[in-house]
Formats: sequence, C-alpha cells, structure tokens
Amino acid sequence: MKKTSSHHSGKEALVEALRLPKDVCLGAMRVTLTGNSEAWIENYRGILEYTGQSILLQGKTCQVCFEGSGLAIDYYTNEDMKISGCINAVRYL
Amino acid sequence: MVAILQFIRGYVRIKVWGFSPERFMNLCSFHDILLWDIRKEDGFHTMCVSLRGFRRLRPIARKTKARVAILQRYGLPFFMPFLWKRKVFLLGLLLCVSFWIFSSYFIWDIEVSGNERITSDQFLSYLRLDQIAVGMKKKDLDIEELEKGLRRQFDEITWASARLEGTKLIIEVKENDAPTQVDIPQEGQGMDLAAPFDGTIVSMIVRKGVPKVQIGDAVSSGQVLVEGRVPVYNEDATVREYEYVSSDADITIEHRLQRMEELPWDYLEKRYTGRTLVRHFVRIGKWLFQASTKRAFLAFDQVTQEKAPLVFEKLSIPVLAGSVTYREYQNVEREYSQEEAGRILSGKMNEFFRSLEEKGVHITQKDVKIEKGAGAWVMSADLTVQDRALRRVETQAVPEGEAKAGG
Repeated sequence: MKKTSSHHSGKEALVEALRLPKDVCLGAMRVTLTGNSEAWIENYRGILEYTGQSILLQGKTCQVCFEGSGLAIDYYTNEDMKISGCINAVRYL
Repeated sequence: MVAILQFIRGYVRIKVWGFSPERFMNLCSFHDILLWDIRKEDGFHTMCVSLRGFRRLRPIARKTKARVAILQRYGLPFFMPFLWKRKVFLLGLLLCVSFWIFSSYFIWDIEVSGNERITSDQFLSYLRLDQIAVGMKKKDLDIEELEKGLRRQFDEITWASARLEGTKLIIEVKENDAPTQVDIPQEGQGMDLAAPFDGTIVSMIVRKGVPKVQIGDAVSSGQVLVEGRVPVYNEDATVREYEYVSSDADITIEHRLQRMEELPWDYLEKRYTGRTLVRHFVRIGKWLFQASTKRAFLAFDQVTQEKAPLVFEKLSIPVLAGSVTYREYQNVEREYSQEEAGRILSGKMNEFFRSLEEKGVHITQKDVKIEKGAGAWVMSADLTVQDRALRRVETQAVPEGEAKAGG
C-alpha cells in the first residue's frame, strides 16, 4: 500500500515537474460544473448506476457520484458526457 | 446544425429495460453508438439513437439481456414513405422547389446607390439600352463590362461597382465631389464680367482684368464691369498690344427687386366624414389583383400600403401585398380671412427670402404689404438687395489692324 502511494506520488511529481496535463497522464477524471444545473465529464470508464436521483460513474482511479433531482444525460459517448438537472452533491468514492 | 443533420439521417427514441441498462449504455458508447437525451423513467430508461446506430443495437441488447422498444421515429427517412403516399403534395413541393431554383437564374431587382446628381431613372434607362433589365438571365450579365460602360457613359462617375446578391443586381457608384471646373478660355480669348441687372456698385475687388466702373456707379444690365482685354503700353503711353485674360473680381451690386404672391379668396376644404373602406390587393409585376374595383365613395382620397411578403423580400421577386384605405370627404367652400391669408402668404414670402439668402443675396431693405385684389389676396414685397452674381461674357477682340494702329 505504501509502495503504491509512493509510486503515485512519484508519477504525480514527474507530471507536475514536466507540467503535463494530469487528466491525460494520470487518467484523472475531468469534471466541469456550470452552476448546479450542468456537468460535463471526460476521462471516465462508464456508468455504474443511473437513477433519477443519482448517477454513479467509474473513473480510472475512483468513482464519482452525482446526486440531485431530475438528472438526465444530454449525451453519452466514449469520450465525454453531459449531465443536466439539479445537482446537489458530487461525491468521490 | 446538429439537429438538422440528425433530422436528415433520421433517429429513434427507444425504451430500454431489463437486467442492466447501464451496461447497455456503456457498450453502446464502446461501439461508438451515440446516445443522447437519456432519461430515467419509472422502471425503464429512454434515449435517442441514430437510425444507423439503432441497426447495430441487436447484439448489444442480446449480450446485456436488455429489452429495446421504439417509442417514436423522427427524421426524413421516416417522412419519405409518408410523402410517397401523397403524390399531389409531393408534386407541388417539387414544382415549388423547381420554381424557386428556376427563378434564381434571373435578375429580379436592380438597386442603384451612391448617385446624387445622376438620377436612378437615368441609370435604369441606360441599363435598358444596354439590355440589362429586370427579368434577364444572370449568365447574360457581364459585370465588368457593365462597370466600364457606366464609367464611360457618365463622366461624373469616378468609381462604379456592380454585384449580384441573390437575384438582386446592386450597383454602387461614387460621383466626382470636386467642384465643376470653370471653362478656361482659349489662348487669345478673354472673358469679361458684366452686370446681370440694373443697380449701383457698392463694393468692388478686382483680381484680374481692367475695371470699367467704380464704387457708387449706376450700372445697367449687360454693362461690362471688368474687361478681360488688358492693354500693354509702350513707353510713350500708347497701346502696344492687348493681353486677353479671364476676368476675376468680387463685385456687389445693390438693386431693387419686386416679388408678388397671390392667394385666391376662396378654397375647397376637405371635411372627412369618418367613413373609411379598406381593400386588400396582391400585385405581381404589372398585374394587380383586387377584390373589388368599384368606386368607394363620391369624393375620397386613398392611402396605399404595400409590402413584399417576407418569403419574397430577400428573393426580390416582384410580388407585393397591401391594402388601400379609402377615406370619404366632402368638399366645403371656404374663404380665407385676412389673418389666414397673411399667414400663408408670409410663409411663401419667407421661403422666397430664405432662397435668396441661400444664393448669397443680402436683403438690406424690404417693404411688404398685403391687399385684397380682384378675386385674390395679394402680397407684394419691394426689396433692396445686394447681389454678387455676375455674368461672364466673351471679350470683344480688337481687330488686328486696330490693335497694330494703336501700337
């Protein structure tokens, strides 16, 4: 566990030093929120669960859960997706 | 734009339910099948998918054990069979589109801008002579030749540009702003300055030529004030020869001017009864289509409003729709009172005074009176004005022998 975390921090440090984009190099999920009504997500693996109140997404390193009401997916492709509705919380699991 | 493309290609709204709709969506995105407008309903998901994507859904649905059903079909591929059943409608649509395309091969409007001295009518009559008119084919128009022709035909034009915008021919011109050049007399020929009316000289500055009068002199119409024939003297004060110049001077002549304005005693006043009638019409080119052509009232005036329908406005097809409002009136005979007549005539007289001032004529004294003449009110003005207008006349050349004899 310790080894993994040090490996991660080393990679992160290298990416930081070379000023490379983290989402590309580390596979971090990129979430852009516009107010609480729209979210634009990149770098995800897929949808794990979708109900009207929550959308759970699988990323490379973590899971993200959007909670709210009337959540809808405006479009869904391999590259990016857009969620609209009333977003109350974004939780990283 | 995206919506138009989606409509052309066609798409369906589907309902997905079963074991794991989320896995179904993930697989769709993995296979590059675009899903949009995904919503969670009670016990199922709905989403839109392109027609092409929908045809590739079967193996994905089988793999994920999801059930798929079409809720609604959208777009042209679904609309075409519907059209095919309505052949007359389709024919009308095709005719309409072909008329549209056919009419776009012609010029339907000509617009001229930038012209101030040359009227649009002059332009249009020149264009007609050059076989350019509304209704001609676009391909018969040589724009470069037209621009050259305009510059050749009208000397005032310094720059001309023609372009086609849709079915409209737009001609933009620029006229020469520089003042018109005064005719330079030929060598050996001078120009005199003569008085255009009888009066008295009040000021005089001569720049070129020989002054023949002086301040305070009374002059008569046509009298030479500055002569363009300048004598060159010998040492013994005899004339050796004459040099001819174009005279140049600022001379102000004071003279009297009379002006009379008349206004008949009585006139017909239009008294509107308040009754109006509106008739609608459609005008296609020269033809007018109106619901009724019956005379609206015994005495009436009409206000016409016409406008190209929005569809034809940009196309410049001469189709106009409008309405004529007829307003009934009665003619009532009335007489002007002295105050009314005075007000109207003063207005006319002031306009005349203004036009004089604009011409550079300075009014030094005026005596205006109004009186009742035979059948009309008459306003007469007796003016004393100072005018700088001069008439240019050709200098009388001295016969060759006489000049020599003088020398």
